[in-house]
Amino acid sequence: GQGDGQGVVRTTGDLVAYRNVDDIPFSKELMIQVDQKNESVLLPLYGLMVPFHIATVKSVISQQDGGHSYIRIIFNVPGAGYSPTDLASQKFADAVYLKEVSFRSSDVRHTNQVVQLIKTLRRQVVLRESEKAERAT
Amino acid sequence: IHQFGNIVLGGRGGGSNSGQLKIYPGGFIWRKTGGGKVVEVTKADVSSLSWTRIPRGYQLGVRLKAGSNVKFNGFKEQDVPSLSTFMSTNLGFIPEDKPLSISGRNWGQADLIGNMLSFDVGGKQAFELSLADVSQTQLQGKNDVLLEFHVDDTAGANEKDCLMEMSFHVPATNMTYV
Repeated sequence: GQGDGQGVVRTTGDLVAYRNVDDIPFSKELMIQVDQKNESVLLPLYGLMVPFHIATVKSVISQQDGGHSYIRIIFNVPGAGYSPTDLASQKFADAVYLKEVSFRSSDVRHTNQVVQLIKTLRRQVVLRESEKAERAT
Repeated sequence: IHQFGNIVLGGRGGGSNSGQLKIYPGGFIWRKTGGGKVVEVTKADVSSLSWTRIPRGYQLGVRLKAGSNVKFNGFKEQDVPSLSTFMSTNLGFIPEDKPLSISGRNWGQADLIGNMLSFDVGGKQAFELSLADVSQTQLQGKNDVLLEFHVDDTAGANEKDCLMEMSFHVPATNMTYV
């Protein structure tokens, strides 16, 4: 929901989810996963699990419609809530941003679980980073 | 001739398509386990080959002159050197090494190669999608492009999460795509 979009994790050019391909958790079934240890969301895109650091995630929404559930992940992009003095947007002025991804899921329980995990992880990281920033000032 | 079992065909619904791949001097034939889908690529259709290190193995990318990039997942490390030799001798292409971006960033470069859209981060590919799977593109506002993927009964029939939509934000400061 909207409330979850509060507080942007400051992203920098040094953001790294994984350093080694083998650190990406293995799953027999390709589906959205949350890796708490590496603070990342893994999305099944064209047969591979593609990681996105939780700091790139702005919010996550789920929806039920008939026999399916839908999950929409919205990423941070320059603009609203993203200061122009932000290191990332300055450094990557000519970049293209992945803004939103939506999936249809056949498993409502899985969708709800993923949404909860993403929200919780995001909250934890936002809180930790803001505490860190406070201590620094 | 080289034959491999348990090779997964990459693609939008990738992951549920496991089968046998035959690599012979005339090209590639992949057959889904239990029958059904067959993918055949002849030598004359190939424009380049690549190896990508993926979790628990290697991916062979076969780029076609027609514009698509067929991906076979599930090779073992020990398969790579002998297959590279075989393919360069018989098909005339030395596979290039193409590492994945796993940094987890959502900003990078979008490159159109044939009908494949590659999203690259720090010069490495994070993911690649086929525009053949896109049913509609929409410009949203001045800076956002929405891609809607084909929906039918078979899309996502065998997988839990099926990609439906993806949007990209191109900042006004970006001069490359204006």
